[in-house]
Amino acid sequence: MLVTWRYRFRNSLMDRFDPRARWIFSLAFLFAATMFWDARFLLFFFLIGFAWYFSGRTAWRETKRGWKLVGFLLFVMIVVNTIITGGGAGGVVPPGGLQVWPKGTTIPLINWHFHYGLTYERLWFAICQLLRIGGISAIFLIIPYTMDPRVYGVTFRGLGLPDSFAYSMELAFRYVPTLARDFGTTFDAQRARGYEIERVKGGIVKQIIRIAPLIVPVTMNSILTGEDVTNAMDLRCFGTRPRTWLSKLTFHWQDYALIAFSIFLLVGGIVTKYAFHTGNFWVPDFWLRLAGG
Amino acid sequence: MQKKSLWKFGTREVVYSAIGAALYAVLAIATNWLQIPSAGNVSFRPAVAIPMFFGVAFGPIVGFIAGFLGNIISDLIAGYGFWFWWDLGNGLMGLIPGLIFLSLVNYKDIMTILKAELFVIIGVLVGMGVAAISEMWVSGADINTVIVGNFIPAVIPNLINGLILVPILMIAYAAIVQRSGR
Repeated sequence: MLVTWRYRFRNSLMDRFDPRARWIFSLAFLFAATMFWDARFLLFFFLIGFAWYFSGRTAWRETKRGWKLVGFLLFVMIVVNTIITGGGAGGVVPPGGLQVWPKGTTIPLINWHFHYGLTYERLWFAICQLLRIGGISAIFLIIPYTMDPRVYGVTFRGLGLPDSFAYSMELAFRYVPTLARDFGTTFDAQRARGYEIERVKGGIVKQIIRIAPLIVPVTMNSILTGEDVTNAMDLRCFGTRPRTWLSKLTFHWQDYALIAFSIFLLVGGIVTKYAFHTGNFWVPDFWLRLAGG
Repeated sequence: MQKKSLWKFGTREVVYSAIGAALYAVLAIATNWLQIPSAGNVSFRPAVAIPMFFGVAFGPIVGFIAGFLGNIISDLIAGYGFWFWWDLGNGLMGLIPGLIFLSLVNYKDIMTILKAELFVIIGVLVGMGVAAISEMWVSGADINTVIVGNFIPAVIPNLINGLILVPILMIAYAAIVQRSGR
């Protein structure tokens, strides 16, 4: 079984930033964007998010899988929740509003009069959801393609995580190809003994029980390996003093600029929202004129 | 003999956290083909039993990291991006069963297995509940949508996987636990 990381170096603008600065920006963006439901602010975040996304220079064929997942989530949240069921809006949209079909509609042949309560305000809310989820997705979806998995440990150590947690992260990335290989070996060994994974029949419970001959050996072997690794690390005095790292991350001027911008986004968002009480859900006049309102 | 601590994070816990996370990621990708019958594009994830089992066997912090980091790595490999609230939910699914870690002696004992199953149920409900409810904050969806669209589709398969596979893993682990000598 082959497991490959999706990251590769693209010599893009994003590659020039320190991963710590990128994480600070991503998290600040997330918290700032989720404070607003005003489309004007959400449009700002949407544009920032996609400017950041395109600075990574990824190709559509690389990221389309992730965007399909985002598209599915958007469909459920926006089309099903807000538009079709008429539910939702999370307490954001005031009750009432201008109905899109105030007189309802009659289904022909069965003569059933159907009254659909969708309002123009909810439609505008759906647009706001699209801007918000789209912007946040652009920020976080790009991470697997543009951040080197080898620096995750030292990155989070640099962000203040304790040595042990950061090293656990680095060790996990290191273990993925090894365990993928072990899984492949176990899979082949079981198949040589007549285990046919493609023909796992029966109900869900039976199928899951039949998966056990794959999962159990790999898990137990890795636990046994873990004992050896633990002993080796203890013999090398792991955990007795702060650890040095193979990679060294250094901030440059662009990283400080990105961090400053992140602080501006977050603090600016907090002040705008809570001091000036701005940024709540707002429907523009031109949209309501469509409804004749 | 050194007294065990529920929240200890020494060398052993570092290693098993890493192994649990990597195992969860690899097995999630490897068993992704298993689909729920007649449920469209919803795939099961038998690997979800890994953070639950690692929590039970090695403690709540190991279980949390196995779930949290494992979900991150799995999404990185699949190219789905980074979804903090779902990573946190997976971490909680591993942490909560780990709360009974100190009380377990014989992993083959039926009462031990039942206790673990109970905490697996609690872990899944809390973990997926936190992840689903966070969608209200991020996406603006209402409680009905997150329950029907996120919570139930996540809870049911995770419960089934956890309740079936965690006891199997515990019994297998009991066979090798004495070998470790710890």
